[in-house]
Amino acid sequence: MVAIFRYDNMEMTLLIGLDAASYILTLLLVCIGLVIIFGMMNVINLAHGEFFLLGAYTVVLLQQYALPFAVILVVAFVFVALVGLLIEEVVIRRIYHRFLDTILATWGISLALKQLVIILFGPGSQQAVAPFVEPVAMFGITYSSYRLFVMAMAIAITAATFFILFRTRLGLTARGVIANRQMASCLGVNTRRVDRVTFAFGSGLAGLAGAIMAPLMSVDPQMGVGFLVPAFLSVLVGGTASPLGALWGAGIIGGSNSVVAAVWTPVIAQIVVFSLAILIIRLMPNGLTGRRRR
Amino acid sequence: MSRFSFPLTILFWVALAAAPLVLDGWNLGLLAQLMIYGIFAMSLAFIWGQGGLLCFGQSLFFGIGAYAMALTTKGMIPGVPAMTLTGLLLAMILPALAAGLLGLALFKGRGLVGAYFGIVTLSAAVIAERLATNWSYIGGFNGLLDIPPMRLGWGSWQIELYDPLPFFLVVLVAAIAAYLLLLKLERSAFGTVLRGTRDNETRAAFLGFETAEYKAAAFAVSGGVAGLAGALFAAQFAFVSPALLGFALATEVLIWVAIGGKEVLLAAFIGALAVKSVEKVLSDSLGQYWLLVLGLLFITAVVLLPRGLLAPFLRLTLPRALRRPEQATKHPTPEGRQGQNAP
Repeated sequence: MVAIFRYDNMEMTLLIGLDAASYILTLLLVCIGLVIIFGMMNVINLAHGEFFLLGAYTVVLLQQYALPFAVILVVAFVFVALVGLLIEEVVIRRIYHRFLDTILATWGISLALKQLVIILFGPGSQQAVAPFVEPVAMFGITYSSYRLFVMAMAIAITAATFFILFRTRLGLTARGVIANRQMASCLGVNTRRVDRVTFAFGSGLAGLAGAIMAPLMSVDPQMGVGFLVPAFLSVLVGGTASPLGALWGAGIIGGSNSVVAAVWTPVIAQIVVFSLAILIIRLMPNGLTGRRRR
Repeated sequence: MSRFSFPLTILFWVALAAAPLVLDGWNLGLLAQLMIYGIFAMSLAFIWGQGGLLCFGQSLFFGIGAYAMALTTKGMIPGVPAMTLTGLLLAMILPALAAGLLGLALFKGRGLVGAYFGIVTLSAAVIAERLATNWSYIGGFNGLLDIPPMRLGWGSWQIELYDPLPFFLVVLVAAIAAYLLLLKLERSAFGTVLRGTRDNETRAAFLGFETAEYKAAAFAVSGGVAGLAGALFAAQFAFVSPALLGFALATEVLIWVAIGGKEVLLAAFIGALAVKSVEKVLSDSLGQYWLLVLGLLFITAVVLLPRGLLAPFLRLTLPRALRRPEQATKHPTPEGRQGQNAP
């Protein structure tokens, strides 16, 4: 607690707050695709980190052709969504009824995709260029404008996803399939189509997250792994019953991680937060938003 | 359940025991190394194949065993004599305790199941790797070097296992002991309850079995065997590092077991030997494509051959008393019944 008072001035608190918000929103960006695939299809997609990776490499590749950044983001989303569609059709479709095997198969996909990236681009790290770099001055501090852009994008993408899920006919169908697959099927919903679209959409979101994050990170074949464990813990802590769980999970994991990292070190933060997450998952297996089983 | 399973099993162990007659020292060392991975694979196959617990962090127990062996034989644990025997004992007891306690904590009450267990064990392995990396007493990021080789015997009558042949024999004995122990458990009433829990936990609990305790006990045994493999690894390589606890090794062992076959111990053992030796031969010629091939092979095994490539040929028949009665298959399956009763 003593350490906190060292940062007792306004600017430092604001800076830590902004960093925390940035980490939380980044995590949310990664989680949202994950929780959609998990909640809707009951598939734990361990290849999510590699979809993120593919999005980031799309940026590296397309920036060589001097395309506008907005176009690159759209291409990254579409490309990774198509990859997801292909994988769903070839692999995942065959093992929906074998829950544990989906983890193993997606793990295998993640190994293969990562190795493919290493073969194509080499194991070294690449650099993606941020479209704008001037820092912004506000409230007496300066902050990276691109980070602010990432935060805004995370909020926008989450809002868009929720809009699609809760305010459109497609979202209604999808939620119907989550709630009761058999009943939805009986009422004439083509559940195969919903599965395909959902998996592609979730994958595309991961690719988009990777593309947006690429300029902030060193783009290398291992970059997906760093997000995988915190993202999964966020999803499990938040609960998979509703996509809202991702908000809670990312908030708790990301927030506590940033605060502990500011007070102690990032390593201690990770150890403390992961242990805390395991404890929460153990005590509330349905997550914070999950309904209690009676 | 082929007719040839039993002769094949015997033949395999005899061939392994006869290996020193044909292999030179260097290759014998390599084979010992592969067998250590094989023991590790059997530990995962037991908990995964028999208990249905998909452990993504089995390397945690391998690593604890390796560190226990290293710290003991280097005399770094106060109050514990720096001997091979104490090292081996600690390397089995500590991971078994860790696994047993983790198991009890996770399974008691409304325990974790399936995928949640996988993610939690994966996180536990990542936490352990971070801890080891930042704990300077046990070597931190660099790990521990110069671990003494094994010494067998008492007082003035001691032999140091520098040469490949005696070390190979020690690993062979350890592998056979681990195999027989796990096989004995698998073919006992304990194993039957474990498989019952795997197939339908509610029903096993309803029949009066404390399923959480059975699973935790099986997890502890599996952790102890993985620790033994870790200890042998530390003694052979004279080196341990935080990577032994973490992500990468946990993935590798999953692949060996999935490809070999999780429900048959020997299939998992041979799976580890086969994948590792193919890797040694092919990684030169295939280079970076090897991991791609391995990943695709793994996906294929999971999707098309969930019982593994080798298991069908090596599955042993259960003892007569534990076999399923013939007419039992005529009853409707539990899933079918549940489906009828569901609201």
